Amino acid sequence: MLGCANMATNSHLLLPQALHMIPRIPTLSSNNLGVSSFLPRASRLSLSRGFLNHSGSNFIDTRKRKEFIVKAEESSEGETEAVVENVAETGEDVEATVAEEAKSPRKPRVKLGDIMGILNQKAIEVQEKVRPVPEIRTGDIVEIKLEVPENRRRLSIYKGIVMSRQNAGIHTTIRIRRIIAGIGVEIVFPIYSPNIKEIKVVSHRKVRRARLYYLRDKLPRLSTFK
Amino acid sequence: MATALASKLSRGRSLLGGLSNAFSGLMNSSNGMMNGTILSRQQRTFIQMGTLLKAVDNSGAKEVMCIQSFKGGKKGARLGDIIVGSVKESAPKGEVKKGKVDAVPKGKVKKGRVVYGVVVRAAMPKRRVDGSEVKFDDNAVVIVGIKEKNKNNSDGTKKKMEYHQPIGTRVFGPVPHEMRTKKQLKILSLAQDIV
Repeated sequence: MLGCANMATNSHLLLPQALHMIPRIPTLSSNNLGVSSFLPRASRLSLSRGFLNHSGSNFIDTRKRKEFIVKAEESSEGETEAVVENVAETGEDVEATVAEEAKSPRKPRVKLGDIMGILNQKAIEVQEKVRPVPEIRTGDIVEIKLEVPENRRRLSIYKGIVMSRQNAGIHTTIRIRRIIAGIGVEIVFPIYSPNIKEIKVVSHRKVRRARLYYLRDKLPRLSTFK
Repeated sequence: MATALASKLSRGRSLLGGLSNAFSGLMNSSNGMMNGTILSRQQRTFIQMGTLLKAVDNSGAKEVMCIQSFKGGKKGARLGDIIVGSVKESAPKGEVKKGKVDAVPKGKVKKGRVVYGVVVRAAMPKRRVDGSEVKFDDNAVVIVGIKEKNKNNSDGTKKKMEYHQPIGTRVFGPVPHEMRTKKQLKILSLAQDIV
């Protein structure tokens, strides 16, 4: 919307005041579409918004500017390109025009509802580079090596059957059950945790459920793993 | 009561949530055992007054009923907290044989004694800082002190008791490493397994 405002001023009022704004504008118009804005872009946008608002009050009423925005939306594309080429060229301008022409298919807008999904995906990608996580399903018998800051030295080893897997992006957890020293113990591990040094699937047991809570009532023999 | 049961069920077993209505109708007629195991699964909660806990050391006590929880606040004690309990069941005298390794030590605890215990295993899940959770299948305490008459400091202020020395000499079963932050290092060293 901000980009459109710029276009409005460009196309309709090339005042001398506007001219000194223009070197900034191409960087905005090159990604005028959509809020596919990652943080660095967003910071630049916010800077120029302040800039724009200040000089905007000089020569144009805010209401009028909004009307221009509505009109300028469709027709803006061709006009901005023309304007941008006319203006004094800095290194940024050249790049911006090239980028604009190259990616003519419009980038899909990122909706509010997608943001958490995208953030989770990115966090998972980062963690996968550090330590890839194998495919874990309910019924797998896994061995987990965990680094516990309280325990200093050696890694703690946890073995057991995966009772359930709860998918929640970066906090995807698995619940491991095992009989330790005669007592059943269930531990929930977030599989993308940096404390986990290794996850290994040792074997698999055929189960016909997604959550094996019935194991709590069964004989301890079924939850014992050497 | 049926709705309360239904809501409890839906937390743990969503499969049965839909069936619970049918079951509640059958509750009177059908075999009690089957209903008992399916419908009585509860949300694990705190250790509070009346909770029966296993004593997992060789202090002589077998079962302890919680009377009060020290640091538990209003709701009750959790894993690692200290509770005041009354011994409901103790190891019978005949079991203790001379010369046996796990002979009960001198300060043997008998039925009816009021004791302090630290909760080493709780059925309620305990969250840890790294995002993991641990829970055990039972509630268990290790006895760390016996209640005696109030001893005051020399200047007359109330003496603060620190309960860090278990009475027994052995601890059975797994112990979580929350004991380290609770300063129960002796228990950690005696434990068979640290979870």
